[in-house]
Amino acid sequence: MPEHDPEQELGPRISSALQSQADARTGLQKSGMAQEARRRVRKRRQAVSMLAGAVLVAAAIGGVWNLAGGESPVATNSSGSAADSKPANEPKSGHEMAPRSVVGCPADHPILTADSPSDLQASAGLDVNTPVTGLRACRYGFAEGGTGLLGQEVFNAAVAQQVVDAIKVLPERNPSLPVFKCAPQTARPSEAIVLRFDTAAGVREVWVEYDGCAAVGFFTGNRVYGLYAAPLKLFMTGSVRPSGGTHLSALPGW
Amino acid sequence: MEAALAAAEARTGQLDFEVWVTEKADALLRFAYVLTGDANLAEDAVQDALTTACARWGRVSQADDPEAYVKRMVVNAHISWWRRFRRREAPVDDPVRNARPFPDGTAARAEADAIWELCATLPDKQRAAVVLRFYEELSYAEIAQLLHCAEATARSHVHRALAVLKTTLSKEGAEDA
Repeated sequence: MPEHDPEQELGPRISSALQSQADARTGLQKSGMAQEARRRVRKRRQAVSMLAGAVLVAAAIGGVWNLAGGESPVATNSSGSAADSKPANEPKSGHEMAPRSVVGCPADHPILTADSPSDLQASAGLDVNTPVTGLRACRYGFAEGGTGLLGQEVFNAAVAQQVVDAIKVLPERNPSLPVFKCAPQTARPSEAIVLRFDTAAGVREVWVEYDGCAAVGFFTGNRVYGLYAAPLKLFMTGSVRPSGGTHLSALPGW
Repeated sequence: MEAALAAAEARTGQLDFEVWVTEKADALLRFAYVLTGDANLAEDAVQDALTTACARWGRVSQADDPEAYVKRMVVNAHISWWRRFRRREAPVDDPVRNARPFPDGTAARAEADAIWELCATLPDKQRAAVVLRFYEELSYAEIAQLLHCAEATARSHVHRALAVLKTTLSKEGAEDA
């Protein structure tokens, strides 16, 4: 018995079946497709234009910054001696000046809009095994009427490294601190500190949470270290020293 | 003067697109429906394709067959869904026909429904190859181009699908008898 070619045998039946199903299918939305296509194209083009504009603005800011002789906040350390690139507007501090110039604390830091300290991205957080060459501590307030940068202090490489060394030996949480449970509206801290370390790869951060009851400790983007006084007393000075905090009140020696 | 001409040209281009979509939407949706097997997916695929076509309407409208061009976009939109989301259910090893033959004896209609349901159980690329071969009546070379694969692979997709369909229909035919 001859073997039938399945394509010849089934092809017409499949073709007929598909046609009849397509014919039977009614009610597909046909109207407004062209208008919707145009709307989407316009939206895409607007998005592309906005992106291009943002790139141009960023490039312009970068150009102006370079002309002014400053370092980009995300630039890698490709310059030679650190001391020779200090910007003219470096703020005075009661502490030793950092040997490397760093950009001041950003006024619109992401911590101001973050839902929690875990929003710190690992790529922006500090790997505690990385050598650091400077530190700027930035204290931000979240309370109504007091949102924004509250104070900043600059520390040299030795202090910066001491802070990192004091943090990286800490356990994940401090068991001596009480566990607070509070309503969501009071869970958010009224303030927090961002430690901006200079590293060979650029500025890397540790977020310090000591107020509110949602989160507490040192957040590096990769892990959390418990809140202890040893690192705090190294940088909680001058305008970066808070008057208190939910957890600080239970933490002696800071 | 030039600005007026450009504006007139733009108006003409816009009109062409609108008119073309009005004329072809039904065919595109029917094709997308047999390709995807789902009305919502069909509408999404056609809308995506029309959006892409609108953005390059100058080139699309100059093509030899704009409808075929846009159908290719529909296929691409569908393929890209496979790649991005794997949104559809995994193919089963042995397709099972759920529909029973129509009691009023309309055997042809019952067979069409059965083939449709069996097609729905095929892996996506096999189904697309079957639709392009038997609904669009494309050559294997054209199918291969659309599915971004070798001609032998396109042929293999269709023949594997046919083998499954034939086996299942024969089995059910024997059971029905």
